[in-house]
Amino acid sequence: MNTAAALTAMAPEHLLLAGIVVLILLEIFAERSHAALPMAVAFVATAAGAAAWLGFTGWTGAPFPGQFVLTPPAAFAKAILLALAVPVLLFSKEDFGEGPFYPLFLASLYGVCLLASAESFLTLFLGIEIMSIPVYVLVLLGYRRPEAAEAALKYLVLSGTASASFLMGASLMYGSTGSLGLASFATALSSPDLLARTAVVMVVSAFFLKAAIVPFHGWAPDAYEAASVPSTAYMAVLVKAGVLVAAARVFGTAPVGESLVGLLVILPLVSIVWGNLTAMRQPGLRRMIAYSSIAHAGYLFFAFVGDGPTRFQAVVFYLAAYGVMNVLAFAALPANADDRERDRLENLKGLFHTHPFAALLIGMAMLSLAGIPPFPGFIAKFLIFKNVIAAGYTAWAVLGLVGSYLGIYFYLRVIQFMFMSPAAASSGHAPSRGIAMGASLLCLAGSIAIAFLPAFFLTRL
Amino acid sequence: MADSTLLSLVLYLPVAGMFAVAAVPAGREGAVRALTLGAMLLQFALSLVLYAHFDPAVPGLQAATHAPWIPAWGVTYSIGLDGYNILLVLLTTFLGPLVTAGAFSAITKDVKLFYAMVFLIQFAMLGTFVAQDLFLFYLFWETMLIPMFLMIGIWGGERRIYATIKFFLYTAFGSILMLAAVIYLVYSLWATTGITSFAFADLYKARLPLEAQQWLLAAFALSFAIKVPMVPFHTWLPDAHVEAPTAGSVILAGVLLKMGTYGFLKLGFPLFPDATRLAVPLLSTLAVVSIVYGACLALVQEDIKKIIAYSSISHLGYVMLGLVSLDLLGIQGAIVQMVSHGLVAAGLFLMVGMIYERCHTRELAAYGGLAKLLPVYSVFFLILTLASVGLPTTSGFTGEFLVLMGAFAAGWRDSAGGSSYALWVAAAAVSGVVLGALYMLRFAQRFLFGAERVPHGPVGDLNLREGAILAAIVAAVFWLGLFPDSAMKRTELAAREYQELVSAPRQPVTKLTGTLPAPEAAR
Repeated sequence: MNTAAALTAMAPEHLLLAGIVVLILLEIFAERSHAALPMAVAFVATAAGAAAWLGFTGWTGAPFPGQFVLTPPAAFAKAILLALAVPVLLFSKEDFGEGPFYPLFLASLYGVCLLASAESFLTLFLGIEIMSIPVYVLVLLGYRRPEAAEAALKYLVLSGTASASFLMGASLMYGSTGSLGLASFATALSSPDLLARTAVVMVVSAFFLKAAIVPFHGWAPDAYEAASVPSTAYMAVLVKAGVLVAAARVFGTAPVGESLVGLLVILPLVSIVWGNLTAMRQPGLRRMIAYSSIAHAGYLFFAFVGDGPTRFQAVVFYLAAYGVMNVLAFAALPANADDRERDRLENLKGLFHTHPFAALLIGMAMLSLAGIPPFPGFIAKFLIFKNVIAAGYTAWAVLGLVGSYLGIYFYLRVIQFMFMSPAAASSGHAPSRGIAMGASLLCLAGSIAIAFLPAFFLTRL
Repeated sequence: MADSTLLSLVLYLPVAGMFAVAAVPAGREGAVRALTLGAMLLQFALSLVLYAHFDPAVPGLQAATHAPWIPAWGVTYSIGLDGYNILLVLLTTFLGPLVTAGAFSAITKDVKLFYAMVFLIQFAMLGTFVAQDLFLFYLFWETMLIPMFLMIGIWGGERRIYATIKFFLYTAFGSILMLAAVIYLVYSLWATTGITSFAFADLYKARLPLEAQQWLLAAFALSFAIKVPMVPFHTWLPDAHVEAPTAGSVILAGVLLKMGTYGFLKLGFPLFPDATRLAVPLLSTLAVVSIVYGACLALVQEDIKKIIAYSSISHLGYVMLGLVSLDLLGIQGAIVQMVSHGLVAAGLFLMVGMIYERCHTRELAAYGGLAKLLPVYSVFFLILTLASVGLPTTSGFTGEFLVLMGAFAAGWRDSAGGSSYALWVAAAAVSGVVLGALYMLRFAQRFLFGAERVPHGPVGDLNLREGAILAAIVAAVFWLGLFPDSAMKRTELAAREYQELVSAPRQPVTKLTGTLPAPEAAR
């Protein structure tokens, strides 16, 4: 093993680790300092920069052969995900203030980064656990509602089930193919062996559970609703991204043919339809976003159909477009002393007249999530369904698109509330906050880049 | 300045205008209005230059700009003028200042947002017309929904939320299936020719089996037919029109509905010619049903806005009839009819808006004898009514007459081939002219003549601003009616190209199996 290579290839991870250490020390020795947020932002941004630099220089190599591999697309994926974390950090200030939030957040990000480079089931499992464990705490931390404990426990138990299923699948895989490398999954996919097939099903259902695919989605609405806004944004964007990137790593470039398409597409299709239909009836924004993200997880699994060389690209591009808009919506959401009031969709009524800029940004985010051009969500959705049709599964693509049509209504309803209704009597929105506005501007810049220069991202992923 | 730069300027001026309007400090509503009107007038002047520079003898694109955008997908940023879109671009930029000026007194709430949305919709509509790449076209096509959704939803009438969501969901459903068809089409182009491209010019080369053509045409046609709208996909239109503010109705009737017919003309039919020719009986039947049914519905309406809304369905039926006639005159008539309806319906909706601002009701029964009370208004109203009916010397005559000539030509052509169905269709379409005269004259008679009656009277006649708006429209109506040559000349090559594209078979050339029988053996 080459030390220099290990230092370079894992530079983003090392920077995050350094950040965690510094933040813990800060927490212990300087409890009242205000340095934690800038420090955390600096470390995450530098890590994102390092990942992007690795990608631009085309650094390729495996410092830990068979465990950890870095390719330019993986480096760019890390850069994008870390960049998405920056605005989440920025608007977490008022919910978490100073405190243990930042080291936990960075620790979870470390897991996300590891996933993009994992080369064996062991590393992958490590990544998933490092990513998930801090999130159980984040749901509870800075909670504003008593249900947070219940939601965190629910998430913990179901997530644990997913981990168990994943481990079981990995061990069966080892039994069947004699290897823990991710390449063995491709072998198992095409193997007629019952053991290998069981392993595939267990691993896939673990991903379904973690990504909240119907019928494994029960934890998501509760956890998203009970957690504070930054935690919800983190779960909806980065944890989901981590899981999908992990799934993309596992599937690699293995072809997903006729016999597997059913397994991979039916439940996601049900998720799209169910998520979109259920989201229509939600009175709260976070619950609505939870169901919307269940539907989006469905679209993301559509990207797995087909021969596979464009799979990673499609997944990461979709995650970038979906993530930036979700974060934008949360960042632009006006603050409110009462968490329940802040969450109520009815309270967004007339927002355009009190906070026009916030309303425009949220409206943009909603249209993008609905997949309406010219916003980035459309281009991402286009990419996924283009791949499905190119793979020859036109009927599935049409069903998926019609499912996505069902989602338009509830996004429009948010816009209707903000622009077309008179202001709610008791909205009690606080004035907009500078730092959260900065976060939304960052997201806005990112989404403009994705919408108008998609080729820049596509050629690099 | 090169024409291509000029076209980009015309296209992006509204974007600049949108940001400029957003930057105007709150409370300076007069400045917002003046700025918008100025930008719109400038845009119209520039597009007049483009119209004058347009060379009718040159086939293909003019003033074009091409640039790679997403090379991996074969998407190019490609815009340009041709015989298909030149008149529609001019129509859009012509209506821009009129819409703006027409809304000066009507829109007093959220003025900045309103004019920003007028700019955005102008941008999206122009973009849809000038786009020469299917991806770009789809982007503009869908973008158009957003400002319209807000316009109806914020400044609309009583049931505006219902109407605007219905509008959005109806049109989005068509688009989502069209999206699948677009992807499939581009994929099959790649599979059959090895070209990855969204450019219209390349897509015309795709050779698809008949069955695929039929599915794709169905998906495209659904999307376009909802937009036109053709019966039975028209139910969103009356709601949207009635609830929309005047400016929204004018944009809807003036330009937005033409997106559907333009889509058929530029994409739907030429891309899938074999399927189109098979579908001609169905399409012409739907067109005639739209003509007659729309007219019948207009005949029984008591709401003056609804009469014009339903008349739009009827008039756009002529456009569809002209397009499927595959006869040169019919096709050119369809294009003229698009512009003519854009002018006349826009004018009528503006007039309805003007009277509504004064009297606050759209109930036809509440009015009477306006000819005595509002003489200037009545003169304009009568002219537009007669143009709508299709009186010679007005644009409506040019359009409808050419379309009917085309339909009969197609009928004779078919009956020479042994089928008289097309002839019956053409004959039925003529009845639409009579019905059209019936509902419009009934409307004018009850509105302008009889016992003098105005709610919330007394009311003043048109002011200078309103008079100028209507005078501009009436001038355009007569220009197209008396001197259609300038417009027809510019569309002729495109109409010919369309006719050739749709008439020539384009199924894959399959290898012949076996040998052809020798002439002797066949005998």
